[in-house]
Amino acid sequence: MEYLREFNMVSVIVRLLLAMTAGGIIGYGRSKRRKTAGLVIYMMVSVGAAMALLLSLYQFAMLKEGAWAEVVAEIGMKYDASRFASQVISGIGFLAAGSIIVAEHQQVEGLTTATGLFASACMGIAAGAGYYECVLISFILIRFALNVMQPLEALYKRRTRNIDLYVEFDSIEDVNKITEVINSCKASIHEIEVERSERSGELNPAAVFSLRLAKEKMSHSEMLASLAELDCVYSVEELIA
Amino acid sequence: MLPFFDFLRNLDLLGTVFRLLLAFATGALIGLERSYKNKPAGFRTHILVSLGAAIASMTGLYLYLVLKVSADMSRIPGQVITGLGFIGGGTIYVTRSNVVRGLTTAAGLWTAGIVGLAIGAGYYELGLLGLALVLIAQTYFGNILEKMSHYPDFRIALSYFEKPQLEVVMRHCKDKGAAIANLQITGSKKSNMALYSALLTLRPDSEINQDELLKEINGMDGIVSAEILK
Repeated sequence: MEYLREFNMVSVIVRLLLAMTAGGIIGYGRSKRRKTAGLVIYMMVSVGAAMALLLSLYQFAMLKEGAWAEVVAEIGMKYDASRFASQVISGIGFLAAGSIIVAEHQQVEGLTTATGLFASACMGIAAGAGYYECVLISFILIRFALNVMQPLEALYKRRTRNIDLYVEFDSIEDVNKITEVINSCKASIHEIEVERSERSGELNPAAVFSLRLAKEKMSHSEMLASLAELDCVYSVEELIA
Repeated sequence: MLPFFDFLRNLDLLGTVFRLLLAFATGALIGLERSYKNKPAGFRTHILVSLGAAIASMTGLYLYLVLKVSADMSRIPGQVITGLGFIGGGTIYVTRSNVVRGLTTAAGLWTAGIVGLAIGAGYYELGLLGLALVLIAQTYFGNILEKMSHYPDFRIALSYFEKPQLEVVMRHCKDKGAAIANLQITGSKKSNMALYSALLTLRPDSEINQDELLKEINGMDGIVSAEILK
């Protein structure tokens, strides 16, 4: 194990392969869910991060006991081996931010992809440093968070008291009927955001209602059903972030 | 600093495992509240952020303390702060009614990252303290402005024929001491007759008779209907 912590050809290969496998397995789980960033992207990000750190380890080795040692003897060691790797993190920040979009009804999407890439890049840096314990444990935890916890989060979100509903209705006066129904369900309205929808050539108002359901448990589908009963309501959709 | 944590401050196997698990747990706790409010960044997102930050922080230490490489060990974790700023920036957007959204999400992600950095560095006291403060801020101060304002906001749904009518209504509301907090307008075309609808959110600065205001608005020319939304 100590041999692999040193900087030599074998340990470089081991570290790069480790970064590639760990990133690849995390990315594979994302590919299976048909996410934008999958196997190849995660692999590249985590291998690239590892390479950035290995590059500075190489330069440090050259300065310490390699061909450049004379220069160091002359002017002293002026080298920071963490600079390449550190810029990986802000660079991935840019890349990840680009994968976030604001979709229809102002739903923000791509955040899990963004933060997943960020965490994988950090893991890749640790792999480049040969911090194997950290890589293995963080690999397990990242994979757990990305792949295993997804259904858990969905389950949790179906039971929260806060919901956002996208409702299409006949005319703006009907907002009153809708709010009456919501109030009769003892839910409180945080916000109404009016939009416009087009349906068979006619322009209809639509709105996103942000609600907080009553303490006495009422399921999200019951709330949807009671709104859909109204004649003026064309469609109701729950927006799950 | 508490001596209680001292055996966990080194970068041995125990310290590594403890840091990563703690970062995972803090991310989950901060994110749980956001998931509950149906916000875009849920607990998985926060876990990934604070975990990633902790890894960066630990790798920085590892380079200098274990590998004994000439490196500035604060540089890698330092870039987490900029990197997460970008990711947070991606979640901020402006709605059609010119309201900025996503700021709380962005700030929450960023703070979860800083908590992760502290834990990764082995400064557990700071990390846990930060976690406690973030949780308090999120749960108790979320809508403090609403609770503090003496006269609650109310909404009026309005239908009218001519565009200038809205101007008249808004001026009338202002004269009555209710500022327009938010205005949303939409047009609908029914049987070739243009009809405009608006949703006004009013913020009264004094006691205001809502029914009377409504009656006055309904009495105006060109107003099809006005209703107060309960």
